[in-house]
Amino acid sequence: MKKIVEPVTHETDEITGYVLRLNVKILGLVLALLFGSAIFVATNWLIIKGGEPVGPHLQLLSQYFPGYRVTFGGSLIGFIYGAALGGFAGGLLGWIYNGIVMLKRGEKNSA
Amino acid sequence: MNRPPPDTAPVLIIGAGPAGLAAAHELVRQDVHPVVLEKGDKAGGIARTEVYRGYRFDIGGHRFFTKNDAVMKLWQTVLDQGFITVHRISRIYYDGRFLDYPLNFFNALTRMGATESLFILLSYLRSQIRPYPEEETFEQWVSNRFGRRLYGKFFAPYTAKLWGMPCDRIPADWARQRIKGLSLMAALSHALFGNQKAKSLIHEFHYPEKGPGMMWEAFCEKIAEKGGHVRFDTKVMGLNHTNRRITGVKCMEGDRTFEMPVEHLISSMPLDKLIAMLDHHRVVPAGVSKAANSMSHRGLILVVLILDKDALFPDQWIYIHGPGFKVGRIQNFKNWSPAMVPDPHRTSLGMEYFCNEGDRLSSMSDEALSAVAASELARLGLAEKNQVIDTFVVRQPDAYPVYTSGYEKRLKVIGDFLDGFENLQTIGRNGMHRYNNMDHSMQTGILAARNVLGADHDLWAVNEEAEYLEEDASVSPRRTLTEKMILQSFAGMDKSALGIALGTVSGLLFFVATLWLVIKGGEVVGPNLQLLSQYFFGYTVSVKGAFIAFFYGFLWGFLFGWFFAYLRNLLVALHLFRVRKKAERLSLRDFVDHI
Repeated sequence: MKKIVEPVTHETDEITGYVLRLNVKILGLVLALLFGSAIFVATNWLIIKGGEPVGPHLQLLSQYFPGYRVTFGGSLIGFIYGAALGGFAGGLLGWIYNGIVMLKRGEKNSA
Repeated sequence: MNRPPPDTAPVLIIGAGPAGLAAAHELVRQDVHPVVLEKGDKAGGIARTEVYRGYRFDIGGHRFFTKNDAVMKLWQTVLDQGFITVHRISRIYYDGRFLDYPLNFFNALTRMGATESLFILLSYLRSQIRPYPEEETFEQWVSNRFGRRLYGKFFAPYTAKLWGMPCDRIPADWARQRIKGLSLMAALSHALFGNQKAKSLIHEFHYPEKGPGMMWEAFCEKIAEKGGHVRFDTKVMGLNHTNRRITGVKCMEGDRTFEMPVEHLISSMPLDKLIAMLDHHRVVPAGVSKAANSMSHRGLILVVLILDKDALFPDQWIYIHGPGFKVGRIQNFKNWSPAMVPDPHRTSLGMEYFCNEGDRLSSMSDEALSAVAASELARLGLAEKNQVIDTFVVRQPDAYPVYTSGYEKRLKVIGDFLDGFENLQTIGRNGMHRYNNMDHSMQTGILAARNVLGADHDLWAVNEEAEYLEEDASVSPRRTLTEKMILQSFAGMDKSALGIALGTVSGLLFFVATLWLVIKGGEVVGPNLQLLSQYFFGYTVSVKGAFIAFFYGFLWGFLFGWFFAYLRNLLVALHLFRVRKKAERLSLRDFVDHI
């Protein structure tokens, strides 16, 4: 006895039943570029806007990123820090996500 | 010089229809010389072209269209330049009106009227919201897709006329097998990468300039050129077999009877007749005989009307859905190809009547049938009775294999029994009791021939598995890659996994950020980070606060990740639903063609 939803569910399951895996390297790279670019753009935006002093709040990043300042040179340093942080966060996010998915599906870690 | 047909051959093929000829053609390509036994005087089986006083006509119209590139290539190779491309025009006669078919929204709306259209729409919506929970019958299958009103008014009368039984006795499997449509994967692939093939298949088709007979004649020539034979007017009277092996085929040619020894037998004759042929020594189990005897076929009577009029209507064919008419479909052969009529000032129509052996229609004389046809044509307003100047009647038994409840079980019983014969294969529409079109029938023939040569194809998988051999082998790696991309793009995201991952990462960031400032120290530690306490109650820039920050960071990160995955999955599911509905609409557009 066949139910109406069977063929559809079967086909839909074939696609949505497949659980998405994150590509750790790509996610890390994307977040690295995103974070790095965000700091680079935010810093240069304040430099262009100017004022006295320039970006006192953004300057607080130097608490975590030694050597960072709200200058063009600082924006490059900020890019490197941001990229490193983003890369690490993305990689960690992907790694934990994939690990949980594999754990839930009872698969061995082949990554 | 014509060689006399041999009385022995390594492979015998019963039936010179599309499947049998395709098998023979495949064999001669591999230098095996089969003999095809055909009881009629021309090739093509139920896809043959008959000729009457120069008027050519099909036993039902046969479009040459296929999704199978290999079959298309075979047709084009065999017929060479003989194909014409026909732009399809067809309509449905419904309740005194002619509607464009495949259905056109505005045409249907204007012809059916706003009120009826509204009822149909409401009924359709109802079927989408509250469909039949189970689809066991054709009625339920169609109603769930078109709505009960459209089914009742539109499809039920025609289907009942065609199959000679109410739709609640036709199993839904039949519709599933006939209306394959696009798989969700294919639909997604088409949506992402574009494909116009499915649409164009509906609107135009190839057709041999002088009808399908031209194709089958060309096949016979090719087979003969390469050492095969097609013996016409040769009836199969019985099959000899020992130890589950067919050893010989008893034939009758005119008054002469003879037996042909056989190494391999490929049969396209109806299954019930094949079982009867095998049963002359009463060796067939009673269950198999009973199953075979209950396999029924629907016959077709074609009443050809020749009219003294150069043009009647632009359609190649018109479906007659009205229950007040016995005729099911009207073919206008001139519109398939002008070469189908010898005189351009005249028109030949094929009035198709569906019947069972021994019923009222099949018992009528040719004259009576012609009179009914002429009268119905006039009642439909398509021509005047007095324009009919000549008539001709063709009776085609076993035109359509009938799918009644339980047919699958019966088919399995027969199939299992026949599988026991190591050198016997059955092919084609009647040989497999499956309502296949020409392309799939020919595919079974080709695969059977390859099996004779050592391959191991499952003929029953043709047209059962939607994609079975429907693609060029070179396309497969690309398809696999596409499928992988689709699977990756539309796969569901694990909500809790993303929540935990994002929660952990954000929690750690807050934790490290707080602890870093604590380690750095100073008079006032982290006055700016302390502002987080506005959102994270109890938070301070301290070691204890670092743990509190981890907790809050995890919580918010988890919630954000979970909802992100939820929304993403929801939007993907909605997109899949839309694509599936679109694919379903496309595959159902020419629904009546598949009935």
